[in-house]
Amino acid sequence: MTSERPPLEPLRSSRRVRFLSDQQLDDLRAATLRILEEVGVKFPSDRALRIFEEHGASVDRETQIVRLAPDLVMRAMATVPRYFTMAARDPSLDLVLQDGVTWFTNDGCGVETIDFETGLARPSTKADVAAMARVADYLPSSGFIWPMVSAQDKGRTSPLHEMDACWGSTMKHVQSETIMGAAHCRYALEMATVLAGSREELRRRPNFSLVVCTIAPLLQDQPGIEGALELAAAGVPVGFLSMPTLGTTAPATMAGALALGDAEIISATVLLQLAHPGTPVFHSIMQAWADPRTGTYVGYPLDQRARYAPVEMAHHWGMPSLGACYGTDAQRPGTWQAAADVALDPFWAGLVGPEIVTGMGLVKTYTRLHAESIILDNDLYQRARYALLDLDVSPETLALDVIANVGPAGHFLAEQHTRKYMRHAMVRGLTHELTPPSGYRDPIEVARERVRTILETHHVEPIEPAKQAELTRILAAADRELG
Amino acid sequence: MTAELFTAMRQSIVDGEAGAAGDLARQALATGVSPLDAIERGYVPGLTAVGEAFSAGDMFLPDMMLAARAMKAAVEILEPALKASGGQRQIAGRVVIGTIKGDIHEIGKNMVAMMLASAGFEIHDLGVDVPAERFAEKAAEVDADIVGVSALLTTTMAGQRNVVQAIVAAGLRSRVKIIVGGAPATQGWADEIGADGYSEDGVASVALARQLLGISA
Repeated sequence: MTSERPPLEPLRSSRRVRFLSDQQLDDLRAATLRILEEVGVKFPSDRALRIFEEHGASVDRETQIVRLAPDLVMRAMATVPRYFTMAARDPSLDLVLQDGVTWFTNDGCGVETIDFETGLARPSTKADVAAMARVADYLPSSGFIWPMVSAQDKGRTSPLHEMDACWGSTMKHVQSETIMGAAHCRYALEMATVLAGSREELRRRPNFSLVVCTIAPLLQDQPGIEGALELAAAGVPVGFLSMPTLGTTAPATMAGALALGDAEIISATVLLQLAHPGTPVFHSIMQAWADPRTGTYVGYPLDQRARYAPVEMAHHWGMPSLGACYGTDAQRPGTWQAAADVALDPFWAGLVGPEIVTGMGLVKTYTRLHAESIILDNDLYQRARYALLDLDVSPETLALDVIANVGPAGHFLAEQHTRKYMRHAMVRGLTHELTPPSGYRDPIEVARERVRTILETHHVEPIEPAKQAELTRILAAADRELG
Repeated sequence: MTAELFTAMRQSIVDGEAGAAGDLARQALATGVSPLDAIERGYVPGLTAVGEAFSAGDMFLPDMMLAARAMKAAVEILEPALKASGGQRQIAGRVVIGTIKGDIHEIGKNMVAMMLASAGFEIHDLGVDVPAERFAEKAAEVDADIVGVSALLTTTMAGQRNVVQAIVAAGLRSRVKIIVGGAPATQGWADEIGADGYSEDGVASVALARQLLGISA
């Protein structure tokens, strides 16, 4: 039995906040170009080095460091598409990236699950990936799906199992953050082609995409880069994500960290454009801090000025941006810190305008899954979405005749106008679930109940049996070869 | 004269000046100061001072890192003479450390190595992308007390289990403690693969290493 899915509710806002001036954006770009030309980026991949050599980049074979002249960078960057489509199993859920619309997804790559039934911590599994994809499939805030945790019960082919679990549990676009290496990517492409029907159709409507992490400072991961080249050849969108940590893998100053992260992303983007001009690529920097006392990775210190500056940098390059929201440093949901860390994220993101954003639902610096977290983060998302909506100021909403009718010292409860609008004027979030005879329920309890209800009642259309059999066959072959 | 030299040595560590620390070590050798004295009366007090300031919250990780680097520069110059004279530094234990095969992330591993070195452990850093068997070989070669295995990726973390197995296969399990770390690692994971310990960060790894070897802080 399949069930209805509420319509998608992306953030829509024509309002824009800028944290960086035109001059600052130019200065940051100039810094990136200097890093690329003078310091270079290490590509430990013969395949990548050959492509750079063929296009006239300066390649040091011994150190594997590539240096890029500014004109080569600018020429390659000119072919990056500003927008593209992230297609879904259900075409009505295709995301057509565009200005003024921001699509969110859930968080990904968690490793520890707090079991929904027992409350005990355990390693995450493929079943967790499938269950959370189904929850996110239901949520109108989730435009696309990340495998939320690692399928640790599936060994070396876990990234492919994560895709399998997601594709079977959602009709939305799926974006992996773990498929690494040419061989794994070829299997993923085979699976995606089965679902799409043909390679041509996959290129036209890519039903999945991939995020590849660079390694700060200025290092690319061989499997990551070679996998990205496989996907680029097939026209599947790839994003490069840099996670510079202030003080350890990046300068302890934000501008330097951003320039460093940008150089990593741009170097990889240039590679893909040289190899396959016009390949859809998105840009993402998720900066973090190292605690100077312990080295602990911290996502949410008190001072996070210009948190969404990387979005502006992406747009300055003419690239779509994957923004970074959520993933509190708090150990568990429902605490003051869990909300305080992330509450402003979706609001700021909506004002700066990344095309896509991760990710709702993990705690402990995006490593731990409590299923109810995604519902709590969704509530924050909806607060931001409403906050960004336009106010309707019109004769009907000014209600001057109603005000005149009631006059001084009266009340509005018995007005037809009130009757029409009051029921929708106060939108209920998790915090205003009534408990008889009055008063409101504990929002955490409500969130848990919603997870349970979605898991019990929301089921997506299964993949056609012939296609499912083919996916299973490909997965088994991958397990034999790579497992 | 020697007292002044020791004071300068101490200060070179506190200031994190590897160049100065090295120059002073050469000066010690040239003027006949015993290398063991130079280390224990000159440089080690500097490291102790930095450690105390760190514990008090007056110094931070970069201070520790620069102090450790200065210490290393001095010891490298003094070590040949130290060995020739038959002397030996006191160490808290020997640690073999590296990032697992398939993974080239190293900052976390480097911080752990640095903190352990500052706490008096002898570090044998195998670098990144290290095969499981290599951990076992090196542990046997240097008679390690602890093997530390780092992994940043969910896809490479499974390799930490292989190191535990390699240590067992090499017949070293009874005398080597195995510790794991990295973003995806947890205490539960350490327990599952039969490792002896896990710590959240470099600072906590010192307490863990001491506890595993029965050393009081």
